[in-house]
Amino acid sequence: MSAVLRRFRFTEFQLLVVPSLMAIVGLLTVFLVRAGQVNWTWRDIWVSLAYMVLIFGISVWLSVSGFRGDQVLFPIVATLAGIGLLVTQRLQEVFVQRGGAWTQLAQRQLIYLAAGIVLFWAMMTFIRQLDWLRRYKYTWAFAGLGLMAVTLVFGQVQNGARQWLSLGFVTIQPDEILKVILVVFLAAYLDEYKDLMATPYRLGPLRLPPIPYLLPMVFMWLLAVATVVRQNNLGTALLLFGIFLAVLYMATGRLLYVVVGLAAFVVAVYLASHLFGRVEVRVVDWLNPWSDPGGTGFQQIQSDFAMASGGLLGAGLGHGYPQYIPVVETDYVFAVIGEELGLLGTIGVLLLYSVLVGRGFLIALRAEPGFVRLLAAGLSTILALQTLIILGGVLRLIPLTGVTLPFISAGGSSLLTNFVIVALLMRASDPGWRRT
Amino acid sequence: MRLFARSGAFVAALLVVGYGLLTTRATGEGPWLIVMAAAAVLLLISFWPSIPRGTPQFERAVIRCTVLFLVGFMVVAIQLVRLQVVDSTVILAKSGIASDGTLIANPRQAIEEAKTIRGRILAADGQVIAGTTVNPDGSWVRTYGDPAATYLAGFYSPLLYGKSGLENTFDAYLTGQKGGNPATQWLDGVLHRTKRGYDLTLSINLNLQKQAQQLLGTQQGAIVVMNAKTGAIVAMASSPAYDPSQLQAAPGPNSNQEVAKAKAYWSTVSQQTNSPLLLRPIQGLYAPGSIFKTVTASAAIETGVAQPSTAYRDEGSLAIDGRVIPEQNRPDPNRVNYTLSEAFGWSLNVVYAQVGLQLGATRLAQYAQRFGIGGPIPFDLPVAVSQLDATPSFLSTQNALADTSFGQGQLLVTPLQMAMVADAVANGGRMMVPYLVQRISSYTGQTLQETQPQVWKSAISAQTATEVQTMMVQSVQQGWAKDAAIPGYVVGGKTGTAETGTPQPHAWFIGFAGKQAPEYVVAVIVEHGGEGTKVALPMGRAMLQAALALPTP
Repeated sequence: MSAVLRRFRFTEFQLLVVPSLMAIVGLLTVFLVRAGQVNWTWRDIWVSLAYMVLIFGISVWLSVSGFRGDQVLFPIVATLAGIGLLVTQRLQEVFVQRGGAWTQLAQRQLIYLAAGIVLFWAMMTFIRQLDWLRRYKYTWAFAGLGLMAVTLVFGQVQNGARQWLSLGFVTIQPDEILKVILVVFLAAYLDEYKDLMATPYRLGPLRLPPIPYLLPMVFMWLLAVATVVRQNNLGTALLLFGIFLAVLYMATGRLLYVVVGLAAFVVAVYLASHLFGRVEVRVVDWLNPWSDPGGTGFQQIQSDFAMASGGLLGAGLGHGYPQYIPVVETDYVFAVIGEELGLLGTIGVLLLYSVLVGRGFLIALRAEPGFVRLLAAGLSTILALQTLIILGGVLRLIPLTGVTLPFISAGGSSLLTNFVIVALLMRASDPGWRRT
Repeated sequence: MRLFARSGAFVAALLVVGYGLLTTRATGEGPWLIVMAAAAVLLLISFWPSIPRGTPQFERAVIRCTVLFLVGFMVVAIQLVRLQVVDSTVILAKSGIASDGTLIANPRQAIEEAKTIRGRILAADGQVIAGTTVNPDGSWVRTYGDPAATYLAGFYSPLLYGKSGLENTFDAYLTGQKGGNPATQWLDGVLHRTKRGYDLTLSINLNLQKQAQQLLGTQQGAIVVMNAKTGAIVAMASSPAYDPSQLQAAPGPNSNQEVAKAKAYWSTVSQQTNSPLLLRPIQGLYAPGSIFKTVTASAAIETGVAQPSTAYRDEGSLAIDGRVIPEQNRPDPNRVNYTLSEAFGWSLNVVYAQVGLQLGATRLAQYAQRFGIGGPIPFDLPVAVSQLDATPSFLSTQNALADTSFGQGQLLVTPLQMAMVADAVANGGRMMVPYLVQRISSYTGQTLQETQPQVWKSAISAQTATEVQTMMVQSVQQGWAKDAAIPGYVVGGKTGTAETGTPQPHAWFIGFAGKQAPEYVVAVIVEHGGEGTKVALPMGRAMLQAALALPTP
């Protein structure tokens, strides 16, 4: 008994009070505002209570199973996912107004969230080692390529981008899975070839990077360009290529490769934007959404209005007007937080992401040298880059490119993938390797 | 040294961001993005980690990546501060027209406004001019009282044409945003209580207002009746008037019908040549004609150029620089000697041309300015600025000076301006600040603020005022304004017939009346109505008589 107490994860357990209270108070607010009265029943908050039971259950299970890894990561993720839960429940009336398949979205999102947490639990329980990921790296690589090829050919087009794959009963977004596969493969590949790093490759008078760098570099570049051109999806291309460059830099420490790679990407995107109108439209919407206020700029303008009307303190949960922003639950979900929770809410969410990313990189620094370190750093890069790309787009710092806001945007593929990322990070934080 | 560079870069980043926030508000996104890029580089310099030598290469790279991403988050935070707080008002005020013609603007304000039950606009006795009827479902519509006064409230058309009149200038009170206890307001907002705006009680007497409207009838013109001692406007009629109830277009269950009706009505009234949307008492600009002699006489007496008893010659015409000014107003063609006072009563242009020439352009302009001509009149509604001349050098010629002295030339005045001139004469030289809104109160009747009479400025000395007052009274006793007399009251007046180049001149009358001392002043104009004595004077007399019958407050 004392052994159990000694390894009990007190920090994590205490920190989980924050998302629990937030989920209960928040959900109650959402329902009471909608009803316009202060009489409540337990039915209103059963979702939050269930959520609370799930996350505390996970924490207790981690303690009982003797897991000794990071204790901050899970409470942060639980808070972010809790915000996602509140936002989707709050948006339910908007979905109902839209009618059709939308009416079930809030409920579906609850199932995804539960599935994500269960997946997290399963991974923490059944995957005790990460080495097998390294060993089967080419399997992952081919699986990823296959997935990509299938999407390019059979993918469904939504919002102008071909990024959905229908499996009959459910549609998935292969890009989400692809980015994890990319990090796993790169970490394994670069770890394996680290001994060859020092041998530059000579082609006549030119000193080229060693072949193990050059090959994936060219390949990734082609992949990114193909994504932009075929899928018409600048966001995913930016994300995949950014992850690649970051992991390459962390594995080699050569800034030059990053600069060259970035330049090549910019040139390709520039050319693509002139050949394909959609990217160009996005750039115009970025710099001046008012050039077509009723058309392509409409969504951005409505998001700006929502953000600005939030002010410092926000309108209050349930008191905003998210129904004016088209497709608010994915790309522009941050605008709902901005309007209803104000600057304090948005900065709070931003701080959560900062701590999440910082914690992820800290795990990488403390992890077992070699593959696991690179993996943890790469997974943290996914979270950091994806958050920056979507927030920068929504806030008009960069052109908007459709990627999801981790843990908050609606969408099953995204949520499940993010829980996979966190499970892998948690596993990487296990200090077990130091003992042996 | 390194610490110095870091803190320097951090301060520079703050300065760059501050500069950007202050300057790029209107100029758009390009310059701001450059500012943000510069700030990002500076922040990166100030937070760039100094990693001890010998640290493994992987750890160096990870630490640097972490700093890079965290600086990225900082930049996002700066942008949030800009979009949500610093520039939020600018962003919310933006609007544009989509390619299909619909207006794209922030929908929240209209919705919030529709939630606030708008305050009412009431006449002095509490009768509703523009009211608010709350439906069972909590929505409300503006309802209107007697059409003789509703146009003073202005139209309420947030979905189409915005707001005008008092609905516009007192919008903050009517929506409850201004006035009241800020703490209570904040609490109401937090608790999402139903908000109620404040009621405006006007100084308008509805009976007088109706009478003024009836007197004008189908003619174009304006009447202003003001309390001489307080500046309270008791009647302010404009003819023709429009019906603001037809222009109502607000969010609500009936908004579609309202919009259709308002559009149809707007296209009619905005194209009518007799401009029903023009609030003539304060926005109409007219040549004053002989009523301006009040200003000329005041200037002459106060500067000592002439006394009421100073004698002038009027031989039926006056030649100035080869141009002949004819005299049509002499009561007796054989009489040539008139005092300044008699010439005022008989409205002799030849005499006042001479007075004007004696005064000179500088002193005439000075006194016009002291009466408020050429500057804004403080009022609850925007007042058009009256002018003495349109071109700066106009008064430098003798003919122009002479014409201006008897109210022609390039003079253009509002009826309210001429009521202010009458007020200066009636009120010991002091002009009161005119006002329409007597009281602002909560819907429970609790007074929030009450308008206190205030002197606007002193146009002439009390002594000059008394002398000009006597001249105006004599003009009624023994002059063209004799029909203005009201038995048992002191009445002073001046008629005017302003030539406008059209066959029919504008008919003017300004005057005052009271038991012992002047209590009310009046200004009447009938556009192209003919002679002031025959057309405007009877209306002015009727209004004064009605005002004198009011119970003294």
